[in-house]
Amino acid sequence: MSGGEAHVENIIWMRAVVWGGVFLVLGVLAFATMGVGVANVKHHDYEDALHAYDEAKEVYYDAKNAYELAEGDNNTTAAELSALKTAKENAETAYKDAHDDEIEAHLSYLTWRTAGVTILLMCITYAAFLALGGFVNSIQPSDDHGHDDHHYGGDDHEHHGSGSPIVFSLGIMLFLMGFPKFQAVLGNMLSGEEFMLGDLGVSMIGLTVITLGIANWWREDLPFIGNGEQIATSAPFEGQHIRKAGLWVFIMSEIMVFASFFSSYLRMRTGWCTKWSYDEGTCREFPNMVINSHEEHPDFVMTASDYLRPDGAAGTGDFWTLLPGAVNTFALIISSYTIVLALKTAKAKNWEAPKGALGKLMPTQKAAVRNYLLATFLLGSMFIVLKLIEWSHLVAEGFTIGTQAGSIFYISTGAHGLHVFVGLLVMLYLVFKADTVGYDENNGQGIEYFGLYWHFVDLAWVVIFPAFYLY
Amino acid sequence: MGEHEPSGIFEKTFDGLLGQDIYFWNFIILMIFTLAEVGAVFFEGIPLNVVWAILIGVGVVKGYGIAAYFMHLKGDPRVYTRTALFPVLFVLLMLWGIGLSNPGAVGDLPAWCTPFSDGYAMNR
Repeated sequence: MSGGEAHVENIIWMRAVVWGGVFLVLGVLAFATMGVGVANVKHHDYEDALHAYDEAKEVYYDAKNAYELAEGDNNTTAAELSALKTAKENAETAYKDAHDDEIEAHLSYLTWRTAGVTILLMCITYAAFLALGGFVNSIQPSDDHGHDDHHYGGDDHEHHGSGSPIVFSLGIMLFLMGFPKFQAVLGNMLSGEEFMLGDLGVSMIGLTVITLGIANWWREDLPFIGNGEQIATSAPFEGQHIRKAGLWVFIMSEIMVFASFFSSYLRMRTGWCTKWSYDEGTCREFPNMVINSHEEHPDFVMTASDYLRPDGAAGTGDFWTLLPGAVNTFALIISSYTIVLALKTAKAKNWEAPKGALGKLMPTQKAAVRNYLLATFLLGSMFIVLKLIEWSHLVAEGFTIGTQAGSIFYISTGAHGLHVFVGLLVMLYLVFKADTVGYDENNGQGIEYFGLYWHFVDLAWVVIFPAFYLY
Repeated sequence: MGEHEPSGIFEKTFDGLLGQDIYFWNFIILMIFTLAEVGAVFFEGIPLNVVWAILIGVGVVKGYGIAAYFMHLKGDPRVYTRTALFPVLFVLLMLWGIGLSNPGAVGDLPAWCTPFSDGYAMNR
């Protein structure tokens, strides 16, 4: 370790292991309360509602048949026919109400169940990430901490470069190489079918390499207090921080990834005969007619917004399915601002604790940076939970990945969600560093560079949200 | 996020207003536009041209607010703005060439990419 770095004791990494344990406990508690406790009550309600629906359906068809028989019977008096008609109409209203109640109860059950399971899986991932990374670093020899001893470009200053991203990338490559077998084995395990444990090999080696790469990356970065930031020595980024330039080039490639999703969506969307294009008279071919709920109507392509919006053509749009996407849009914008506040606080030269309740939450500059990052982390985690709740509702309503409109929706929003989740894993480390070594005006660029990625994820949502939820 | 002098009407108007910096006001404006966007989703019977206006108008304003102020392209050296704008040409080409130019959708594409592009691939 050199004098240009913070002194980091091995024991500090055990804090990451403890955090991992805390996440695991939180995940299990959330699953037990939401995913099991509340969800079971909701499932009971759902079963009751389903039973009531079946009964109402039976009563309605009995009333309908009775009315139709009476209608064709010449001996039936007008008064009897009127009474039967009223009974049929009442039964129909009760049938529709029971159907609405059953759907509401089902969605309510799915909300709690999905929330519980998602929080559990996220917490397990957070726990594994923190605990493994922390443990690997805590068992390193003490004198091995800090940066390598290589010098860059013949200058005598230690630099903040790292080979860990290459190790990490190698791990990703191995994981993806084994992924087809990995997911087949997982599928067989879950369905109780036979599987070869050896088929997990390549992916597990990949995951191990990823973990080691990340752990090493953390170990190299944690003592960094702002000395030795590598500067580009040639055009076009001459004089700029290499990490920042690299991140912008990475964002550039990410723009292309999301642009390809968006252009695919536009291409398909302009060719589909949706309810909107039908009403506008721009369908290229007249769609086939289908009979649904005793009514004949054109077979439109149902888009995500048809299922989500209250006036959507699918007729299933409800407030509770649309709400998660709406809340998520605000959550991302707020999280973009909290990370700006984290950076602003870290870089502040004369920081003063805010007055009132906020001052108690942020008594010191170090705590303020950590808590702003934590707020960003919680908002991002909420985004994932709400996203999966929304998906569960959509799938229950019939909008699955098996349809053309479903595939582009789930792939685009899923790719975005994956970016959010990867950002959350990185943010875990930022919160850990903010809580241990801390960020200040010298090393605050770590938050700035992560912030660029996070703002980009927000920017992608600016396009995705109206394209899929409104259009 | 480096420090820089306020420049442009937006910054000169809002920076320091009510004791709040430009990031706060940018956040407020982003929230207002988000509210309009989310409100439109809940609104029933919205005409298609209004949808497109929101899609493009709100997207441009929010995109600018996030990129210029939160990602700090406005205060950083121009090379970052140029880097961020570099893919725009390809994105526009992609949106025009793939997304909008041929609503015939995926079925027509193989014919374009085939020698003697006269439906050879589809008819042989």
